Amino acid sequence: MNATRKWILHRVSAVILVPLFAWFYFSLISLSEKNYQEAIYFFENPLFKILIIALFFIGFFHAKISLYEIFEDYIHDQKIKDVANLLASILSIVLLITILTLLIYRI
Amino acid sequence: MTDNQNPISPHLQIYRWHISSLLSITHRITGIVNLLALILMFFWLLAFSLGESNYELFLLAINSFFGKFILIGFTWSMSFHIFSGIRHLVWDMGYGFEIKTANISGVLVILSSLVATIIFWLLGRGLI
Repeated sequence: MNATRKWILHRVSAVILVPLFAWFYFSLISLSEKNYQEAIYFFENPLFKILIIALFFIGFFHAKISLYEIFEDYIHDQKIKDVANLLASILSIVLLITILTLLIYRI
Repeated sequence: MTDNQNPISPHLQIYRWHISSLLSITHRITGIVNLLALILMFFWLLAFSLGESNYELFLLAINSFFGKFILIGFTWSMSFHIFSGIRHLVWDMGYGFEIKTANISGVLVILSSLVATIIFWLLGRGLI
């Protein structure tokens, strides 16, 4: 991905994440004082699933680009930088696949 | 991702603190904290999918003093990153670079992030 496209996608994902994150924190704060039975209505709502998938996908995408920039600034050894970027990618992909699996098969 | 010709950022410890540099590094730190928050949310979903007893255990942890501290901290981190991010977007469009404007917008970011955190908790808990 070239630097300009990355820069633009970083900004676009940031703008999309603003309402998603606001909604998500609002939900979490109210969920934190509800018990399991009350939470079922929440988690099993199709809209919740769609929004949560969007939040995690765009969130990890945004984080991946940001982490790349941060590693670029603070890690000077190219090999360590490559390993750090690889680890960040693996973590994002593993978490995203797990979330998709959970939402499709368990929730 | 092969291009390693990008410029390297200045070293923080050499410079005197200004609101601009303070907000710049806080923006990065809160960004990383938000990633940790996203990972915690992953465990929230995981706990729910593991059934009632696991979810109740997770709720117990979240509602403990330490859990509340973390959750409020994450809320502030998210609010700060959003407001600071908006400030960055305005800069990207080419506005607000004057030193005075940048200082005022910096203070506004800090204040609004604190107010937003309080509003989030009051709204989320159904108090207003």
